[in-house]
Amino acid sequence: MDNKTVETISYLARLKLDKDKKEKITKDLENIIDFVAELQDLNTKDIVPLSNPLEKVAPKREDSVTSRNRKEAFLSNSPESDQDYFMVPKVVE
Amino acid sequence: MSIRFKTLAELKRLLENKEMSSSELVNETFKNISSSKTNSFITLDEEAALNKAKDFDEGKVDGDLAGIPIAQKDLFCTKNLRTTCGSKILENFIPPYDATVVDNLSAAGSICVGKTNMDEFAMGSSNETSYYGTVRNPWDLERVPGGSSGGSAAAVSEGLVCAATGTDTGGSIRQPAALCGITGIKPTYGRASRWGMIAFASSLDQAGAFARNAEDCALLLNHICSHDSKDSTSISDEQENYLDNINNDLKGKKIGIIKEFDISSLNKEVQDSFEKSKKIFEALGANFVEVSMPNIKLSVPTYYVVAPAECSSNLSRFDGIKYGYRAKDVDNLEELYVKSRSEGFGDEVKRRILIGTYVLSAGFYDAYYKKAQQSRRMIKNDFVNAFSEVDVIMSPSSPSSAFKIGSKTEDPIEMYLEDLFTISSNLAGVPAMSIPHGFSDGLPIGLQLIGNYLEESKILNFAHQYQKNSDWHFKTPDLGESS
Repeated sequence: MDNKTVETISYLARLKLDKDKKEKITKDLENIIDFVAELQDLNTKDIVPLSNPLEKVAPKREDSVTSRNRKEAFLSNSPESDQDYFMVPKVVE
Repeated sequence: MSIRFKTLAELKRLLENKEMSSSELVNETFKNISSSKTNSFITLDEEAALNKAKDFDEGKVDGDLAGIPIAQKDLFCTKNLRTTCGSKILENFIPPYDATVVDNLSAAGSICVGKTNMDEFAMGSSNETSYYGTVRNPWDLERVPGGSSGGSAAAVSEGLVCAATGTDTGGSIRQPAALCGITGIKPTYGRASRWGMIAFASSLDQAGAFARNAEDCALLLNHICSHDSKDSTSISDEQENYLDNINNDLKGKKIGIIKEFDISSLNKEVQDSFEKSKKIFEALGANFVEVSMPNIKLSVPTYYVVAPAECSSNLSRFDGIKYGYRAKDVDNLEELYVKSRSEGFGDEVKRRILIGTYVLSAGFYDAYYKKAQQSRRMIKNDFVNAFSEVDVIMSPSSPSSAFKIGSKTEDPIEMYLEDLFTISSNLAGVPAMSIPHGFSDGLPIGLQLIGNYLEESKILNFAHQYQKNSDWHFKTPDLGESS
């Protein structure tokens, strides 16, 4: 876990680390990755990965409208909205 | 009349016998909260609570929990009541809907007095990662209450409320229940709806309850659990009444002790309590069987791949656009995302997002994430095998009693090992609970009972029988002048 890796994953996660904390977080990440590395030596031949403990198939339902339009309620939580829209900085030149 | 430390059943009786009105109960609750030094609550809802109490007193409300004040962990969305998840990024978030669990509990007549403090996004085992300050353990204000549901556990332990909700992703109900000397239960994955719970690790997250004893937990679980079509992993199997089997005889029942959990490495008081608890169950006619679960030692590393991976994906929704904190003074959209997230999340959340991003990134996926999912199956298989031999599995809930605030914050791995005994149940998805069973260094410690899938009734039965034959659950902290 070097500086460059930390920069790459920070970019992917859209996070910027404070300069004074970067060294400590890099060290922490390195220790955590070392800690979980024992899994790599595990013999997992023929073991099917388990992603959900119940292994259930997602249920199906009638294709019908179940939710109401609650535009105002949802827009009211936005840091910035205008009429029907969520506002963001300009994205086209 | 003091209502502090009264159980849910006792408060119900007070209301039924008209010895007290719900309004008096709610007023008294807020009085106790205002003199509390534990920082258990992030947001209070006094006006709405008093209105609901008035409705009850006027005979307009009924239900199993009617008129009883309870607290909700601040991870459950509550309609028109601020829900922060312990994070700055949701400091001003007011959900337009109730979580199903919240809905269920209000349908049963209970009154939510407020939202309890917690580790930020439930990531922590000490409640020290909350943006709203550390919660203090009522047994010793210099110590942590455990986490992540530390506020709920402390509030019940301190006698502010008789019951509170929690969520458990790797031990976040059981470990704080143990450290605060109360009873807490996490049902089978999928038994309670995750709708309206702010997601951390979706394949592990599960709602549950804190109370002063197992019987109250059973009553709460009757309402917390439900089938919910809004949660695609919700279980549709018929739900038992969790009080029905609570008095079953334990004669001839088998309790598994996990061979690979080395109890002898723990401190003497923890070991002694464990031995004494075994004797109580033996006296009730249960037998002990050693079960081998060779993969259980992989639980903590497996969890710290699976949970961060799911967290990095779940928390990508926090971008400062539709809700939550938005950074000021940005030039473009990219900067808006980066600055809002960087200023809005705390260090532990950032660490976990970064670990998750790393283990899911191209080139590392097979080595970490896939491997962890395979080891998760091996752990699950260990449980399936063990439960073919025994009724329940018993272990300590945590390696020690509550530690000093600040003593484990520098080393994340030391903190992660707090959940050594609890994490495997989340990976397998089985129900588990913690009950008080002694003291170490003058502070409470917990006994964990783990059940097979959908056998909440059975662990509640074991816990209730234990509590009928012990008095650890009657012990309360000395609150000095604040009481």
